[in-house]
Amino acid sequence: MADLSVEICGVRLKNPVIAASGTFGFGREYNLLYDISVLGGISTKGMTLEPRLGNPVPRIAEGSSVILNAVGLQNPGVDYFIKNDLKFLMTKGVTVIANVAGKTLEEYGEICARLDGLVHMIELNISCPNVHAGGMAFGIKPESIEEVTRISKKSLSLTPLIVKLSPNVESIPANARAAERGGADCISLINTITGMAIDLEKRKPIIANNTGGVSGAGIKPIALRMVYEAAHAVRIPVIGLGGITSGTDALEFMAAGARAVQVGTANFTNANAMPNIISEMNSWLDAHGIKDVNQIVDTLKLN
Amino acid sequence: MKDLLSEVKSNERIAENIYMITLTLPEDAGAMHGGQFANLSTGNGQHLLRRPLGICKVDGSDISLCYQVKGGGTRYLSTVPAGAKLQVLLPLGNWFDLEEYKSVAVIGGGVGIFPLIRTVAENAPQKDFYCYMGFRNKNAVCLLNELSGCKKLTVTTDDGSYGAKGNAVEAYLREADNIPAEAIIACGPPIMLSVLKRELSQKGFKIPCFVSLEERMGCGMGACLVCVCRLEDGSNARVCRDGPVFSIQDVKL
Repeated sequence: MADLSVEICGVRLKNPVIAASGTFGFGREYNLLYDISVLGGISTKGMTLEPRLGNPVPRIAEGSSVILNAVGLQNPGVDYFIKNDLKFLMTKGVTVIANVAGKTLEEYGEICARLDGLVHMIELNISCPNVHAGGMAFGIKPESIEEVTRISKKSLSLTPLIVKLSPNVESIPANARAAERGGADCISLINTITGMAIDLEKRKPIIANNTGGVSGAGIKPIALRMVYEAAHAVRIPVIGLGGITSGTDALEFMAAGARAVQVGTANFTNANAMPNIISEMNSWLDAHGIKDVNQIVDTLKLN
Repeated sequence: MKDLLSEVKSNERIAENIYMITLTLPEDAGAMHGGQFANLSTGNGQHLLRRPLGICKVDGSDISLCYQVKGGGTRYLSTVPAGAKLQVLLPLGNWFDLEEYKSVAVIGGGVGIFPLIRTVAENAPQKDFYCYMGFRNKNAVCLLNELSGCKKLTVTTDDGSYGAKGNAVEAYLREADNIPAEAIIACGPPIMLSVLKRELSQKGFKIPCFVSLEERMGCGMGACLVCVCRLEDGSNARVCRDGPVFSIQDVKL
């Protein structure tokens, strides 16, 4: 049994495997299948200040080894979460990461303020349409990433801040550094890659929103490259995600520089994906005589 | 709810583009009622989503699910041989709860008949079922022998090539005033359910009607909020977990 525990900006996780936002709700449903306290952490469904109904259906489609989704941040609002789901999650002995989004800079500040001290970490979702900056997403340009990070960080005195980076950008290193300059304690990447799936007979996109975020095993090489780039551009810790399906996938991300990982789409393919990944990581480390998972981090040797 | 590695007992074509797959479960997964569904892996790693399929038959540790070959995933599934192992998450969702009713009208269209077959099988002969099953044409007709427990069975096809010409809703409406049904259960394409709702609404919803909905799903257990439907009160409900069975009056169709 290797030691799987990791520490990220002062928060101890019993293992590096975190449920990715949007695939795991607030943990209640998967807890009916297995005890979610075996997980390192849970990043909640993305929350906003007010409840949102999200996009019309269909919200999901499939490609080869990938899926696309466009749920559109359906959520009950942060106050509902604090009142109804927070206690359940916090008593599970799992690191609770509140994933949050806003329409304006002020909303990011406000939602962070409401959650400060209530959860273990906060993760900023900055790939949402941004009215404030003329329809651009906050997460595209380094300037707006730095600004939204700074405003969010200013609202927080107790809870560390993770900024989740979008892959649909010009430069991952530039955006990672922008988050760091803005005061991020950690970055996570990658969010989904914008894509489209088409029903040829109907000559229409399958997803009602026309485009959706591509995720799943097929995007892993893209995610690995970007995680490597980010981890070598900043000093703050990096959480890697994108197509992780197995224990060795997770360890590849850690070798590329990630201190922890998130698992999303694999939960749909296999409801027990995360407990399996944790045990596979253990077996691989044991088989290689490695006693501490942290020894894998940033061990990649370029050709 | 359990995620089990099941063995394919058989996987056969039962009508044009329609297959029935029978899985042997390695352990008891609890009671499985008509309306509930299973989220089945295709067995091919490039299909990351499971296919949500209504439970059609239960026989000891064997369960049968039916599916229409529509895209690459179901096409692959139709080639999976007996003896293969497939991961299946079940039972999921709610079901047609008919405890309060003695006599029930059943309206099914196309692949919507499968969950209704399970409902009839688990409740007949204690309850009287008046079934109206509609198909596109005679090549699509299947599993009528599974409905032998019905008090009355009416089959329709769109082109009249089998049974009466027309659809199942029309067939029901023609007889609605002459059968003693205390409730209606229905499953079928969205257009069928929406016509049914309009017609029942015009009659003032004299008896309760429950419909089972279909939607593209992610997790299948209520976590990912992919498969929602809109309720009349303006809120969203999860088809996989709050449904798939809803009162027709509660759901926007």
